[in-house]
Amino acid sequence: MDIPIKLQIAEKHKLTRRTFLKYSGTIVFVMGTHLYLPGQCSAAGQGEGIPRSDGYLVVDVKKCQGCVSCMLACSLVHEGASGLSVSRIQILQDSFGKFPDDLTIEQCRQCESPACVKACPENALTADSEFGHVRMVDKEACTGCGSCFEACPFTPERLSVMADEAFKKALKSRKCDLCANAPYHWDAAGGGPGGKQACVEVCPVGAIAFTSELPVQEGTSGYKVNLREINWSNLGYGR
Amino acid sequence: MNGYAGKILSIDLSSRRVATIPTETYQQWGGGHGMGSALFFDKVKDKTVDGFHPDNTMTLMTSPLCGTLVPSGAGRTEIQGIGVQSLPIGWFTRSNFGGRFSSMLKYAGWDGIAIQGQADSRVWIDIRNQDVRIRECHDLELWGTDTWECQKRIWKHVAGNGVYGDWIRVNQNGDKTTQRPAVLAIGPAGENLSRMACLIHDAGNGAGQGGFGAVFGKKGLKAISVIGTGSIKVNNPQALMRSRLWLKDNYQFSLENLKIKNFVIGFQSPPVPMALYRFGRPRVGQRPQACVGCTAGCRGRYEDGVGNESICFNSLFYYLGRTHLIQRQAADLINRYGLNAAEMFTGELYLKTLHDLGVAGKGRDIDCPLDFTRYGELSYAEQLVKAISYRSDGMGNPHPFGDVLAEGFVRAADKWGRLKGENSDLKTGLLKFPHWGLPRHKLERSQLDWGYGTMLSDRDINEHCFDTLRAFPTYFKRTGEELPPSEAVVKTITDKMEPFQGDLKMLDFSTDNMYSDHIIKLVSWHRYYTRFWKQSAQLCDFRWPDFLNLYGPEQAGAAGIAEQRFFNDVTGKNFSFLDGINLGKKIWNLDNVIWALQGRHRDMVRFADYVYTRPGTTHTGFPEYMPGIKDGKWDYVVTSGRHFDSDRFEDFKTRFYRFQGWDEKTGCPTRQTLESLGLGFAADALEKGGKYKNA
Repeated sequence: MDIPIKLQIAEKHKLTRRTFLKYSGTIVFVMGTHLYLPGQCSAAGQGEGIPRSDGYLVVDVKKCQGCVSCMLACSLVHEGASGLSVSRIQILQDSFGKFPDDLTIEQCRQCESPACVKACPENALTADSEFGHVRMVDKEACTGCGSCFEACPFTPERLSVMADEAFKKALKSRKCDLCANAPYHWDAAGGGPGGKQACVEVCPVGAIAFTSELPVQEGTSGYKVNLREINWSNLGYGR
Repeated sequence: MNGYAGKILSIDLSSRRVATIPTETYQQWGGGHGMGSALFFDKVKDKTVDGFHPDNTMTLMTSPLCGTLVPSGAGRTEIQGIGVQSLPIGWFTRSNFGGRFSSMLKYAGWDGIAIQGQADSRVWIDIRNQDVRIRECHDLELWGTDTWECQKRIWKHVAGNGVYGDWIRVNQNGDKTTQRPAVLAIGPAGENLSRMACLIHDAGNGAGQGGFGAVFGKKGLKAISVIGTGSIKVNNPQALMRSRLWLKDNYQFSLENLKIKNFVIGFQSPPVPMALYRFGRPRVGQRPQACVGCTAGCRGRYEDGVGNESICFNSLFYYLGRTHLIQRQAADLINRYGLNAAEMFTGELYLKTLHDLGVAGKGRDIDCPLDFTRYGELSYAEQLVKAISYRSDGMGNPHPFGDVLAEGFVRAADKWGRLKGENSDLKTGLLKFPHWGLPRHKLERSQLDWGYGTMLSDRDINEHCFDTLRAFPTYFKRTGEELPPSEAVVKTITDKMEPFQGDLKMLDFSTDNMYSDHIIKLVSWHRYYTRFWKQSAQLCDFRWPDFLNLYGPEQAGAAGIAEQRFFNDVTGKNFSFLDGINLGKKIWNLDNVIWALQGRHRDMVRFADYVYTRPGTTHTGFPEYMPGIKDGKWDYVVTSGRHFDSDRFEDFKTRFYRFQGWDEKTGCPTRQTLESLGLGFAADALEKGGKYKNA
């Protein structure tokens, strides 16, 4: 299961073979103090007819420098404005905390069995083949009821339901679509699993990567991985 | 109004009135410092009031770039007002800090805050989007806490029943965030009005200069907390994203192609903590930590939680602390008690020297209660910090030593009789406070942009634009590494110094050139560039201007190209690099008008005596090298070990004032110059203040 993820990461970052070898190390399991309990995770299991997403974001919480550029880029390409609350990826940090527990990254997992999709009473949350089966919100259909938010089993919830300027400040759900439907996407080829994701592209230290391989659904180890290459170590940081 | 939140918050602590000012009123100033100066000019009718006077107005300003994706330009906050640290007058001055305060303020819907008046009880300001409250400190028992504990108590209060790590509802409207409020707080030093008191945000973001911690303390203001859930509209989102990636692809460090492993100025720098502890960078598990939107964090967070986000002077403060851990703990001490690290670093060494000379100590001429037998241990640093912060003996008892020292080291030295006669510590150089009663930073006789810039303004400029020109040659000469041809380096930089581009001798730091008109142009350009692009647009001092860059074409950085590109992507304006320089010149002139109204005359613009008689030496004892012409050829020349000549500096000032279009006899901006800059109102104020009578 691990090898394909690493291959995708390496391919994405065009790593040299030497650098790539480091990915054959153990994927790091990072446990924050506030994370969900495995027993409560409804994300694991079969998709019940919902196809798997063609892509996922994985992150390295030990490498992140907390600049929140990913959040600014996410909100920029989706909303045309920069902010933190509307970002689909969330960096949470405590200035007084001890490394590595001073910071965590919480991104949408594009769950194999997405509780949010199943909970939507309006079928506004779908896994459309046109967009690589990414779990995404159709804002036209979304009524802002918050069922998806309530259904998300993770803390913090990977969706937000907030007023949307484009819809006369009506409540609308927002979640990560891997930039598949980002109105302000900068690249002509667009985003989604086959395109470019703003957070991945902008991260100065390469702490976010894209993979097309389904991460391990139980726990966090599938999504919180080790992206530290040899030059990260050369800068005086651990690998 | 793309890039702007649209409103400035105006708070009068005396009347507890909260009002708003349309940002549009001050938009012509761009943001940050320009807006702050203009606001101050309008709000403070009598510019001669003391910094502790209730009429003194402090401004905390953002810029249109704050909170956006602009690289290393989204996280700074500019603070202005009449300071209480400098001599002979507490100048209208500035300070600046990074982190996430300015972005959070923008997300809450505010471009800045103006604070005037004085509360009749101890208060803190609670900003949650548009909901602004002046709250009593006693509810949370904030007064008396250190800056860290204060922030933690406010975080908890704002979260209410929420828990960080989850979404937090910040108000009755149900607005949510996962973020902690950004809090700017004072510690005991500010509460007890030490002129060295600073403002601290998060663990280590400090607005150190000016004594603004004491101004907060006098106003009865313990902290400002802000949480925002909104967003900042950008004129061209796609263009901004493309610009960010353009900079990343062409100028930013690359982990796949790492060319530098240490902290340096500019975008070629990798994310490395700029920790200057005597024992080097902490050797414990760590991450780099960055301000909002930065390409490369310059601070660190550590697995033992000690020294989080402490860099630069903070990490230097207790340089002779015996162990690495003690030095890091001492850095935390001055952050927690809220003291200016630069003055504490230079002052602490001065105090130790006075003790070693037999002057300071228990029962000596200077009755000093510090236990010097514990010098190098943490307990010594803690006693010193507490003595200043509480105006005591540092052990909980009232004592004149701490009371005097809280006024700052130069005022204390004067009180101790150390500034009299030919053996004055400012004549011998024992007290290394070369300008405005403020501590030395760079060697002013060597790094001329810094020395002149500081003496001709109001504070240690702390602007690293040309620092690379000293840092690299000085280091490489010691290590024996090969240096690039100095003429090529100088040409790369001066080509970007519009409108003076092409004059290579602006960067000739040789002794023969140190009073030339070329150096006047260098100092002028520096004043204009920083006043707008750094302090108003608020591009970070450590990354901008990106002059030299190993990743750039022909090793040239993004300076002169990138500033306006990002500014226009965000605002939609058609603003050129030169427009920024010209606006910077206008702001620089307005600042000088305020200083003139405060009472500045050219005769005050004079370094401490030792700077004219004693050779400049470095902290390390090694010589400094900078580009310069030697025997008719460009080279790297030794610039330390020399001193200024008093008469030649006076002549330099005369020509500098002439170059600015100011009165050569007084140093005061003339009506003609001010009107040409659209500052006729400022000329009117000078006339009304009697500043043109003898012109």
